[in-house]
Amino acid sequence: MAVKKEADAYQVLEELGSGSFGSVYKAINRDTGEVVAVKHIDLEATNDELSDIQAEINLLGTCSSPYVAQYITSFVDGVKLWIVMEYLGGGSCLDLLKPGEFSEAHIAIVMRELLFGLDYLHATGKIHRDIKAANTLLSDKGKVKLADFGVAAQLVNFKSVRNTFVGTPFWMAPEVIQEAGYDFKADIWSLGITALELANGEPPHAGAHPMKILFEIPKNPAPRLEGPKWSREFKDFVAKCLIKDPDRRMTAKELLHHTFIKRAGKVEAMCELIERKQMWDLERENASHPKYYEETMVDLSPRTEDEEWNFDTIKTSTVAPARHVTKRRKMARIPSASSDLEGATSKMESMDLNAAPLGTPIDSPRRVSRARGAHRVPSTGTAIRVPSGLTPTARRVSNQPKQPLAVDISFGNSPSTVRFCKRVSSGERRAALSSNPSANSFHPNPQARTFRPSPPSSVHPLDANNENVPPTSNQQSIPVTKEALLGRRAYDKSLDSVFQESLADSAMPHQREAMAKVAQAWSHLDEVDPHGEFMLLKAMVDRLQSDSRLASALGVSVSPVPTPRRESTKPSETMLSGSTAHGTGTTRIRSSTTSTGTGTTSIRNPPGLSASPASTPVQTPFSTPTGTTSTSPLKGPKLVLANNNPHLKSHRRRQSAFVTGEKGVWGNEKLADIDERKLPGHVEKGMEQQGLLQDILYGQWMAGLKSRWPLV
Amino acid sequence: MAFLFRNKPKSNAELVKSTKELLIRLVEEPKANPKAQTEEELAKNLQQMKTSLQGTPEVEVSPESVHQLLSLIVQEDLLYLLANNIYKLPFESRKDTQVIFSTAFRYKPAGASDPQVLHHVIQYRPEIIISLCRGYDRRESAMPCGGVLREALKYDAIAALLLYDEPTPDGKTRDLASVNPDIASSGEGVFWRFFDWIDKGAFEVSADAFNTFRDILTKHKSLVATYLQTNFDVFFQKYNAVLVQSESYVTKRQSIKLLGEILLDRANYNVMTAYVDSGEHLKIVMKLLRDDKRMINYEGFHVFKVFVANPNKSVAVQRILINNREKLLRFLPSFLEDRTEDDQFIDEKSFLIRQIEQLPPAPVPPPGAPQ
Repeated sequence: MAVKKEADAYQVLEELGSGSFGSVYKAINRDTGEVVAVKHIDLEATNDELSDIQAEINLLGTCSSPYVAQYITSFVDGVKLWIVMEYLGGGSCLDLLKPGEFSEAHIAIVMRELLFGLDYLHATGKIHRDIKAANTLLSDKGKVKLADFGVAAQLVNFKSVRNTFVGTPFWMAPEVIQEAGYDFKADIWSLGITALELANGEPPHAGAHPMKILFEIPKNPAPRLEGPKWSREFKDFVAKCLIKDPDRRMTAKELLHHTFIKRAGKVEAMCELIERKQMWDLERENASHPKYYEETMVDLSPRTEDEEWNFDTIKTSTVAPARHVTKRRKMARIPSASSDLEGATSKMESMDLNAAPLGTPIDSPRRVSRARGAHRVPSTGTAIRVPSGLTPTARRVSNQPKQPLAVDISFGNSPSTVRFCKRVSSGERRAALSSNPSANSFHPNPQARTFRPSPPSSVHPLDANNENVPPTSNQQSIPVTKEALLGRRAYDKSLDSVFQESLADSAMPHQREAMAKVAQAWSHLDEVDPHGEFMLLKAMVDRLQSDSRLASALGVSVSPVPTPRRESTKPSETMLSGSTAHGTGTTRIRSSTTSTGTGTTSIRNPPGLSASPASTPVQTPFSTPTGTTSTSPLKGPKLVLANNNPHLKSHRRRQSAFVTGEKGVWGNEKLADIDERKLPGHVEKGMEQQGLLQDILYGQWMAGLKSRWPLV
Repeated sequence: MAFLFRNKPKSNAELVKSTKELLIRLVEEPKANPKAQTEEELAKNLQQMKTSLQGTPEVEVSPESVHQLLSLIVQEDLLYLLANNIYKLPFESRKDTQVIFSTAFRYKPAGASDPQVLHHVIQYRPEIIISLCRGYDRRESAMPCGGVLREALKYDAIAALLLYDEPTPDGKTRDLASVNPDIASSGEGVFWRFFDWIDKGAFEVSADAFNTFRDILTKHKSLVATYLQTNFDVFFQKYNAVLVQSESYVTKRQSIKLLGEILLDRANYNVMTAYVDSGEHLKIVMKLLRDDKRMINYEGFHVFKVFVANPNKSVAVQRILINNREKLLRFLPSFLEDRTEDDQFIDEKSFLIRQIEQLPPAPVPPPGAPQ
């Protein structure tokens, strides 16, 4: 097993930091003694396209420069992707800023080294797209290196431009925000902002709302370095970087000839800052217990055997799943020798090894023991094997608040902060639009969820999902009220974007400000009380509808919707509130025969349809847990979409496959629909929701940045 | 990385000639004493070549010079030499070589609609494409070769070359014109090597090979549909055994997803119906639903649903589903139940549950099926 050996080659030491993507550890190569930084990405916890991660690795793998953090190797061990990088013991410039701002001499050195790094990247057709102090790492000798290629892009050729909207708002060049197409020059702008960050301790507008920033950067004059303590050259350098017109902005190569850069000192001087940080840490005694590497303890205890598929047409040996506890029904042909359960387990294993024509049995204990063996790294000394009964898994919870690190190890490759607003590849776009990947039923920050590998929850889904749990426990698995989910959904899917559009539409500064305040307030409401948010929306829509003039002006008028098989039965209240989830969140169903305009949803009576399988998919997402999946799933009222409702396009797209399935013919039509729908990642060509995507992105930034600059 | 105009830049003819000589020297005398010198010289040449083909952010290329250089490269058959020996080149040169290939393959002279160099390669030098695939044999060459291949795979002809490649007695690559798509593949051609590269390669190699493999199978719909029908058994036997049930989590997860994509592609309608008729396939997929990795369960679900949604289920498939009806009905409601935000998944899941509930008590032969 080549893979296993690769992981064993490293002794993993203390954690250097963690982020949404996983954790970064210091590690030693046992053979060479080389100290490295290892980034662990839990692939199970990420709904990202794996190819996105591969793209990042490919990009890393093609960089080899003394000014860029060196990629060493990567491999997969179980479900963990290990990315092995050069260890940079000096910490990031952001860490070094904590004791205080940099002096001009130090900034000059950092700028020169970064320009060398950028020149290298740009010459090979790469844009970093996220230059900032946090992504500038120092070796313990003071060498400055560019790191974190989470959002970097490889251009096909020098003339091509990018349109993707990535980076971190405060450092973003105006052309990136305006999505007018940008190239290498975007990095130069970010470099100028980084210079300001190092000089002032924070980037310009750091106190402002990140969303507001996005409007201000293109609108306002470029920031300048001010204050008597800075030299004319330094101010000029910053001004050269921060030219709003990318065509007039200088390239990295040109800037290397700038006087400010020319007279920069030796990199060894950077050690002063590293020492300063160490002293600072010592003084503050913020040495806490370092976190050591722990193996992931996925619950490996065998599930009880009742639930193995019964493939009665194949030979018994082929289905022998060889679990520790083996109990079969309907397995009359099991050789009697192995029907003695406990005692015969080993026998069955060996039998299974060679006899299974279907390949490796998925849950065989063979695999279990191998996995344990593979993880027997000395560093697991601190790992505790948690009995599965108590805590389902000891999976590292990476979304815990980052704990302060011990003095001597608080340096080093800090985890990426940009994963929060990373690239917007088509894959992610798809993920954002169609399959909502949150692994947890409720996350405090829903705007963020689509773009971040969902944090492993303390109760691992695998266990929550244990097949032994009777299906009746479904209802308990929704931890929050439906209204809260709906409210959140309303915010994510429509309100947020509405606010942003309105903000973009309003021209006057005072109008914008007022609008921004409302948006911010609402965002806060969404965060704190999604339930109340939904109730508020509901009340608003109700009132608006009751005023006929307002209702018609707003297009929420009450009008009967033609539905082919409509009958008048009163739908139950719970079903209704659940159903509205399909709409934009502003939907409100008033009676069984009518429906509101914006989120037009009409109610259909079940009895007439009881034979039609197609009615099922039109159920609400919440109908499943509320029990409709039991033996008589047709008892609840069903909803049909009105044909003329533009807001529900996406909903209909999802459903269309099944609606035609009603015909009960596996003809080309049905197939075509499946084809359209394809896999969960599929997105319609129209991409109606591009706006939505943007909004999620905005939300994303806010979420990511809130943690760094607690908001106003 | 200063641009190497310190020495007088070579003319295009000199450049190609000297590169060829250096490459031959590097290949033939691996232990020759001034190896470093050869490499250094070669690296300089390749970089100059790249720069004249691609330009720099500051300098635009001249179309005449590009045309001349590419003609010379083709004339001297330099691409073949490079494709075979890319792994022997120094780090930066491998990337430069990738750029040279990509630019050459993309090259269309003003007014022409055909990529000229690529056209030439397909017609007269298909060995180059095969050699590029062999780049997956080594970690050093995997990524540059993969990048070039995917660039070339924008054209159906390249996919056809790979799919219909067969070993020949004289070692020459087959002429596309002689291919009969109705003859089953021997399973020995370069396309089949991808299974090994994906399953056995180091992570980076495997990942890159998979991307290329996916491009071959998803970007050339009618070509692939024909190919899969002719080679249905060999292909899916190998696909299920090597990829879907791979030891490697990444390979397994990606290939289940790709399987779903292939099956649900409208062009592959016949392939899909054949696939979902097989009870053996259903067994493999049902095991995926019980895998201990959630994302495997999830990707497996999207294949499983095709079996269940099929209104004309084969007897074998019906039998398995009916025998497992109770288990499925117990299993599915709580299957990945934390995906509460995934409406499509929830809808499909409840659809499947209903379908399974409505299965007849005993298998009924589908209409029109051979009894």
